[in-house]
Amino acid sequence: MHGPDVAWYLVLAALLFVTGALGVLVRRSPLIILLSVEIMLNGANLALIAFARRLGHEDGQVFAIAVMAIAASEVVVGLGLIVAMGRRHVELDVDKLRTLRG
Amino acid sequence: MNAAAWICLLLPLAGALAITLAGERVSRRGAGYLSTATTAAAFVAAIVAFADMLSKPPAARPHATTSWTWLSAGRYHFGLTLLTDQLSVFMMLIVSGVGALIVAYSIGYMDREDEERRFFAYMSLFVFSMLLLVQGGNLLLLLAGWGMVGLSSYLLIGFYQERESAVRAAKKAFVMNAVGDATMALALFLLIQHTGRLDYGGVFAASPHGGAIANLIALGLLGGAVAKSAQIPLHTWLPDAMEGPTPVSALIHAATMVTAGVYLIVRTHPLFENAYVVEDLAAGLGAATLVMAGLIALVQVDIKRVIAYSTMSQIGYMFVGAGVGAYPNAMFHLMTHAFFKALLFLAAGIAIHALAGEQDIRRMTGLGRTMPRTRLAFLAGSLALVGIPPFAGFFSKDSILAATLDRGWFGAILFACGLAGTFLTGLYTFRLFFVVFGREGDAHPHLHGDAEGPFSMVSTVAVLAVLSVVGGWIQFAPLWTPLTTWLAPVARPISEATSWEEAASSAAAFALGLAGIWVAYAAYAARTVRVPAALPLLEKKFYWDELYDLVFYRPADLVSRALGRFFEQPVVAGSIGEVTQGFRVGAGEVSRAQNGLVRSYALALAAGVAVLAVVFLSVR
Repeated sequence: MHGPDVAWYLVLAALLFVTGALGVLVRRSPLIILLSVEIMLNGANLALIAFARRLGHEDGQVFAIAVMAIAASEVVVGLGLIVAMGRRHVELDVDKLRTLRG
Repeated sequence: MNAAAWICLLLPLAGALAITLAGERVSRRGAGYLSTATTAAAFVAAIVAFADMLSKPPAARPHATTSWTWLSAGRYHFGLTLLTDQLSVFMMLIVSGVGALIVAYSIGYMDREDEERRFFAYMSLFVFSMLLLVQGGNLLLLLAGWGMVGLSSYLLIGFYQERESAVRAAKKAFVMNAVGDATMALALFLLIQHTGRLDYGGVFAASPHGGAIANLIALGLLGGAVAKSAQIPLHTWLPDAMEGPTPVSALIHAATMVTAGVYLIVRTHPLFENAYVVEDLAAGLGAATLVMAGLIALVQVDIKRVIAYSTMSQIGYMFVGAGVGAYPNAMFHLMTHAFFKALLFLAAGIAIHALAGEQDIRRMTGLGRTMPRTRLAFLAGSLALVGIPPFAGFFSKDSILAATLDRGWFGAILFACGLAGTFLTGLYTFRLFFVVFGREGDAHPHLHGDAEGPFSMVSTVAVLAVLSVVGGWIQFAPLWTPLTTWLAPVARPISEATSWEEAASSAAAFALGLAGIWVAYAAYAARTVRVPAALPLLEKKFYWDELYDLVFYRPADLVSRALGRFFEQPVVAGSIGEVTQGFRVGAGEVSRAQNGLVRSYALALAAGVAVLAVVFLSVR
């Protein structure tokens, strides 16, 4: 077993996850929110890989690859939506998109 | 042969079910024939059971069969048991035999009525209920039959459901009977508590002798009997029950229902013998009822109501007989009464039918000229009712009166009441006869040709007329007592009259009956005596209805009105408004959380996850 202890990786993963979550919660631009979601996913990936290395299993790495694939497809959908909004001249501000209001 | 008993019980039920399920597929006439055939077949089965019993020695005659355990509750198991013994076979013969005649009569009487099928289904159900009552091998099954008889009577009294008075009469009969059912159920609870069983033999062996419990048990049973048999104080439903079609009245009065009370007392006589006070009470109530009903019958103007009061009066005699312990005499009178009371009702039904539903005797005058054969049948029934030898009532009624003489000063009072009742019976019966079937009058019956009614009606009345003449000949105490001997293993009489007492009471009753007839003749036929104006006390039927109105209806009405005004309106109705208002405001507050901001939803999600994480980490 080489390198730092798994706890350090977990701390970094938590930091990345919280940073991303804060970004999702406080930013208004859908583009930034998508970026923040990617940061969250990567925090989770880091934790998966850290455990995979620690336990000597490949399962965590397989999950990480699946998460990357999902992240890529998510970005495709999200960016597509943002482009569609831009074409319709809708302001890029999630707080203005309130049609779900009850 | 218990198969016969089961067939006898189940055939009327099968008839009722078949008519109900067949619906429109069976013609109206067909329903009548089906009902008649099943009831008559039940009578044949009863005869088979009777003949089978005759061929055995007396000790081997009672036979109980249990088909399955009906109710199991803890230590208690009650089977669906049929008891076939001397008493129940006797009742089966009366119920199915007279019942079959009345159902056959209905084919003509109910012709062209609407909903004949419903009528015949109810009639079959009624006969089945009564058979269940008399054949049940334990008190629980008896209670089930008891309740079903009440239900059937409710359905049939209210048969003309578009007539409000009929519906009201049906409800009245049902409620009054429910009072009796309740006291009877209480008596059964006491019996279960103190003996742990409900089959006749076990209960009689284990029930307490004397004391408060024995009295309470007998009192509860007496309550049921009084309600079903229309004795004071639960009698007011019977005259109102005349709202039903005439064959229903005949069925209620002759074959089923009102005789159930007498049967109950005779069947459970050991329980009554353990409570002498209650047994005397039964006799006293019977005596009071027979005099009161006789007095009321004097002033009634509805032909069926007069006959109804005469039924109350005659059942009063049976209660006196059962109350003093002359059980065979009570059962004997039950049988002869079934014959002549069915005859009177059905003969009156012919007259009512011919007059297109007229029941007021002031407009039914002079039928003697136009309907001589109906007149003859009605005369036979009347003579049997008054107890003129050799008609049936003479033999049965007088032996009850003679048995009262065995009971000291209380018996003497009962005897006097019975004699007064005999005089009244002669008077009111022949008032009816002379007014309706006299030679003067202007009622014009619609008769087709020579016949006075359809064949089914005339023929059954003829059979009953013969039975009313010869039915009493099966016993002439104390010379010839096959019935007493037959019933002795089940209901051994505890008071028996000497031949001197029999002779004296027969002579007295005969003389007073004749006196009653003579007074009626003088007042209503020869018109040598002016009829006094009717007392309001009698016209109002001793104010029983008004009394119940005052004691039960008015206070309940008052309380419910007060509750409605001071509780329901302010508290219940008010609080409902406030509760709905609260829900509306709360829903408005909660819906504000759904603001459409995706970020706030995400925050809620994140906060939830955080809380869960803390919980999972702290609670291991």
